[in-house]
Amino acid sequence: MTEKAPVRYRIKHRTEYRYSDPVAICQNQLRMNPRNFDHVECFDVSTEIEPPPDFVDEHDDYFGNKVYSFAIESNHRQLTVTVTSEIAISTAPWMDCKQSPPWEQVVKFVRSGEDPNWTSVGEFSRDSNLITRCEDYAAFARPSFAEGRQIIDAAFDLTKRIHSEFRYDKTATKVDTPTYEAFQKRAGVCQDFAHIQIACLRSIGLPARYVSGYLRTHPLEGKERLVGADESHAWLSVYAGAEHGWVDLDPTNACVCGTDHVPICVGRDYEDVSPMRGVVLGSGHPILSVSVDVEPIDG
Amino acid sequence: MTSTTPFVQYAPTQLSYDECKTPTGELRPGWQLIADFFDAAGPDGMKEFVAESDRSVRESGATFNAIGDIDGQSRPWQLSVVPLAFDASTWTRLEAGLQQRMRVLEAVLSDILGPQRLLKERIIPAELLWSNPLFKRAYHDLPPAGGLRLHVTATDLARDSKGAWWVTGDRTRAPTGLGYLLENRILTSRLLPQLIRQSNVRRLASFFDRLRGRMRSLASTKQENPRVVILTPGDNSYRYFEDTYLARYLGFTLVQGRDLAVRGNRLNLKTLGGLLPIEVLWRHVSDDKCDPLELDPSSLEGVTGLLQAIRGGTVAVANCIGSTLVQMPALLPFLPAASRFLLSEELVLPNIATYWCGGEKEKQYVLANLDSLVVRPALAVSDSKPLVPSQLSAPAKKELIAAIQANPHRYVAQPHCQRSTTPVWNNGQLESWHMALRTFHVQSADSIDVMPGGFVRVSPQSESLDHSITSGRLGQDCWVIDDKPVDQETTLLPPPGTLIRLTRSGAELPSRVAENLFWLGRNVERAESTARLLRTTMVRLAGETNIGELKELPRLTAAIAAVGQIEPDYAIAGLVSSLPPLDRMLPSSIFDRQPPRGLQMSVLNAADKASAVRDRISLDAYQIVMRLKAELTLPRAAHTIDIGGSIETLNQLIRDLLAFAGLASESITRTHGWRFLQLGRRIERAYQTAELLAATLVRSESDERSLFESVLEATDSLMTYRTRYLLSLQPAPVLDLLITDQSNPRSIAFQVQAIEKLVSQMPIDAAEVTLGSDQKAAEYLSYVIRKSDPYQLATCDANMHRRNLNDLLQILIEALPALSDAVSARYLIHTGQEQTLTGRSIPD
Repeated sequence: MTEKAPVRYRIKHRTEYRYSDPVAICQNQLRMNPRNFDHVECFDVSTEIEPPPDFVDEHDDYFGNKVYSFAIESNHRQLTVTVTSEIAISTAPWMDCKQSPPWEQVVKFVRSGEDPNWTSVGEFSRDSNLITRCEDYAAFARPSFAEGRQIIDAAFDLTKRIHSEFRYDKTATKVDTPTYEAFQKRAGVCQDFAHIQIACLRSIGLPARYVSGYLRTHPLEGKERLVGADESHAWLSVYAGAEHGWVDLDPTNACVCGTDHVPICVGRDYEDVSPMRGVVLGSGHPILSVSVDVEPIDG
Repeated sequence: MTSTTPFVQYAPTQLSYDECKTPTGELRPGWQLIADFFDAAGPDGMKEFVAESDRSVRESGATFNAIGDIDGQSRPWQLSVVPLAFDASTWTRLEAGLQQRMRVLEAVLSDILGPQRLLKERIIPAELLWSNPLFKRAYHDLPPAGGLRLHVTATDLARDSKGAWWVTGDRTRAPTGLGYLLENRILTSRLLPQLIRQSNVRRLASFFDRLRGRMRSLASTKQENPRVVILTPGDNSYRYFEDTYLARYLGFTLVQGRDLAVRGNRLNLKTLGGLLPIEVLWRHVSDDKCDPLELDPSSLEGVTGLLQAIRGGTVAVANCIGSTLVQMPALLPFLPAASRFLLSEELVLPNIATYWCGGEKEKQYVLANLDSLVVRPALAVSDSKPLVPSQLSAPAKKELIAAIQANPHRYVAQPHCQRSTTPVWNNGQLESWHMALRTFHVQSADSIDVMPGGFVRVSPQSESLDHSITSGRLGQDCWVIDDKPVDQETTLLPPPGTLIRLTRSGAELPSRVAENLFWLGRNVERAESTARLLRTTMVRLAGETNIGELKELPRLTAAIAAVGQIEPDYAIAGLVSSLPPLDRMLPSSIFDRQPPRGLQMSVLNAADKASAVRDRISLDAYQIVMRLKAELTLPRAAHTIDIGGSIETLNQLIRDLLAFAGLASESITRTHGWRFLQLGRRIERAYQTAELLAATLVRSESDERSLFESVLEATDSLMTYRTRYLLSLQPAPVLDLLITDQSNPRSIAFQVQAIEKLVSQMPIDAAEVTLGSDQKAAEYLSYVIRKSDPYQLATCDANMHRRNLNDLLQILIEALPALSDAVSARYLIHTGQEQTLTGRSIPD
């Protein structure tokens, strides 16, 4: 297999809050800054905040995500956060993988500790705040997980089934809709689809984690690329054993993630990676707008 | 049978280890003096001690009770007169085990919150963390304070029939009981002063001294005089009164989440003087509630950005956030191996047998032996009663079994624990009751101090002690008896020779406290003026004159309605006849909670505010307010409420309010706290007087003498008037005395002058150059009063209307509440509304 050159992007993620009344103080944490993964390398990350913050700090969280904290301690009616970065994504081994171990073996080795990564992947097979394992999820997963089926094959089959059996519908769920409710409705957005597949995988014993990131959009034939039309996206990774590691699957688009998917943060579910968390002092009602631009650049 | 010599006759059961006597009936070491003392006292003496002890517990209860509104019996137990004694050698052995245990727990905690070798090497099951909702990932890798994560811990102990100690649990987050046991020691020392001195009882003060020193030493900056605060969950928490007690005793500032703000990455106390940095935070708030930004976003008990400040290393938090993890019951069975792995030491003190159902074999054992076990939640210490399967109904037991099968990792089971007995005076003799001991420990870099003694609960039934720190029938003082005289010198005062830096501070007053004091002042004053007005009116109703002939009555009634004590309809002459008669309605209005500004609500509000600032006002003042509330809110049958009784109630109420006012002026230093209390009082008194005068004297009548007399009486100025003008009652002198006379402490002029002075002494931000709106309002009022002339005020127009008086009073009635708002806006409302942002565009 020949090594393909990595695909490079310049990414600009702009988040803007406008408040109906002035806000006296805001204290925030961002999880929007990209980090390195095995197949992802990031350069020149910059975070610009307007009005200029009185305090900033950066640290890595428990899952290795980059956390950017800042505070603005004077009255403001508008807050803009712009994160720009350059990212190089290589072809990961799993992107065109033909062979993977039987799924039961992955479950067994992680459980028994024969898998060398069991201590780092094990907690992703347990319940988290937004995802509680149950028999209904397991029952949904089983048709894809026939005895002895290869794990990537089986997990991808589940991805495709979620894509075909669930309706993509922005009005069906909200940010805090419980996973099980979206599962019963058979509808939702990328966050719900990712949560549902994670729930199914965990319910049969497999470690699975939530990935937040961006998806490059390809312009229609003959059209110009639209700046800022890209969007935040979410998918999941399933642990496919020591050799293949974490494999990214996108149930919203029924694909194994390739170089169009730019991961930013990973966690047990959305709560671990929510891009912006904050507490503001003041009663001003916020209106939020977000734009994302994923621009391919020539390496 | 009563025993004439209680200890000689004390015969413990042979089933348990007895702390006082050996199986052959000999006294154990340490008990001789105690036994001799109580034997000499005999049953009559015992009876007196018990009565005396109950009395002092009741008295201390007034200050020691938790939240007022929960039926006032929050002190969960009485104090047993007979102490529990341990001789020095017994204690030394136990002490060594406890010191080791704290080191082990520290090592386990830093591993769990750090490299997690215990998991990787399978010393503890990963499930304890991975499936534990208490393990917030944000706790991981936070830097410890002063190199340590645990600073104060407690351990619960029981003693088996052979006298061996067993640990039943640990408290590593923020153990309760320190305040209670201190109170027990203080009461016992008062009750048995000689005995405690002769017995060489090790003192507790040196332990608290170490604790205080340890907290102060955690400051990474400003080590000379760090600001140490105790963060309490709030004044309606079960912890509040103990936290208040500790803050007072140790000299730390008691704060709530609302008092704190993180700016930059520093933790600050919000005070009237601005933000002041905090170096050390002793937090008694749950781990998850400490920071709404990174932990539970709905929490109001913590402060936004605390974890950031901890990562920045600018504040030391004790115990570390996440310390709750090592008190989980499921950890107990794995501690011996963890101790071997991390410290290469065998655990000196064994744990009570604990089966974690997350293990297959353990689960099978538990299910097979349910009836001989007690079942508890495995992952978190719980305040709810442990389940005793042998006492459950068949369906309840089935439910429990199903719950264990479904989520085995959430349960542990333990055998009923054996507990030693100790003598307790009950039914005229010494009975042997079971006891539970909680010990306390302070860790510093090079040593661990174990408190000599501990918190002891006793009960005739062993099981009732298994529940929580508040279970059990009685508390007991715990004595560690030394072989030689103990140092009597240690107190919490600084050692001689150290110079204390003199301070006359006041600007450190948290804004929340200032706000409560301000409203305390307003409410006690409102209660007092309303009570006076009611009394004046009722005395007339109870007199010999026929109600119909009391010319002043309609005006007084209108005034009572104007100040919000009764329905406004009473102020309208035409409507009065259709309403319940005054002589029945006024007495019952005293006990009516409906009117928001009525007497009853004023007293309840005052009590609330006083509770919220209990650490800031004198105990005597606090007790007065609590007594007021108790008297006034006593439930009574409607028919017992009559005029005579009501007047007596009001007399008592007014006397108590005066006593409170006296304490407030004599026992509080003239700092900002006092100023806010006074300001509240002055604003309210001026307002009440203005309302009274507007309702009574604006419309003139042919013969106003009885009305003047009533108004003077209701404002406590009748005596002054008589000394000046004898029996001649005229409008101008009355209005002078009540409005313009600056020498009468009841006049509006006096209040306004005081308000102007108080407002000018408030802390001013150096950045402010112009007068604040509160100062402008105060100056305006002062000007309006100064230019008023009593003769002009008394003048009537053709309609018998005192127009000038009315104009002045209307100004006051509008301007005083506005002034109050201006004060609130400027000093008291630091915090607007907080809200959580989630930066989520819906991703696709």
